[in-house]
Amino acid sequence: MTAATIVVSHRFDASLERVFDAWLDPARAAKFLFATPTGEIVKVEIDARVGGGFLIIDRRPEIGDAEHFGRYVEIDRPRRLVFDFAARKDMKDATRVTIEIVPAGTGCELTLTHEGVWQDYAERTQGGWTMILEGLAQAL
Amino acid sequence: MQIDDTLLALSDPTRRAILARLAQGEARVTDLAAPFDISLNSVSKHIRMLERADLVRRRRQGREHLLSFNPQAMDEALAWMDAQRSRWTRSLAALDALLIQEDQTP
Repeated sequence: MTAATIVVSHRFDASLERVFDAWLDPARAAKFLFATPTGEIVKVEIDARVGGGFLIIDRRPEIGDAEHFGRYVEIDRPRRLVFDFAARKDMKDATRVTIEIVPAGTGCELTLTHEGVWQDYAERTQGGWTMILEGLAQAL
Repeated sequence: MQIDDTLLALSDPTRRAILARLAQGEARVTDLAAPFDISLNSVSKHIRMLERADLVRRRRQGREHLLSFNPQAMDEALAWMDAQRSRWTRSLAALDALLIQEDQTP
């Protein structure tokens, strides 16, 4: 599913360490991660070690609470952070997010790669990915 | 949901290659099968999945079945991908604003 990869980049006028640390600091994460114009982050739990998890809940007036679950795969301060990302607590719908930070000018550039987002989508829809795959197997 | 079929149909490289070919214009099933090292039967199955997702439409011209690409079905899938992308671009912009705000706070 290589085509289902999202890549976004952003330049920061701040040190690599500051940008990196914001991802693992609950107080800062609450202010930027999954921020939406109308939503409010109501819970942030971060266990910042490899194998540790995170939980971020954002409350949106239109759709209610959205839960974001994660598990850290690589923590290599200040250049690389890899975590699995899911909408379900059991993380069966997990997809992988890789964050790489490199020096750029007086600041740094962050590149975020989110792989397998189509799978993530299918898992969240009613039928679920497993059922879709079963359907596919029958169709073939 | 239509988008499930669309995303599933797009998740396979052979089907994406078939779509890329059809984006250039109508083709017969046999034309589509030619560049691939797989059976005609297998190509037909891929085409049926693309038809189910409404990415491909079929019309008959005499004894021939002509296939064409329907870009409309792609729109919803692309809109969804955009929503995923904007979740991250929004987060990164918010982080940028937060760090600037911290710099300005004594």
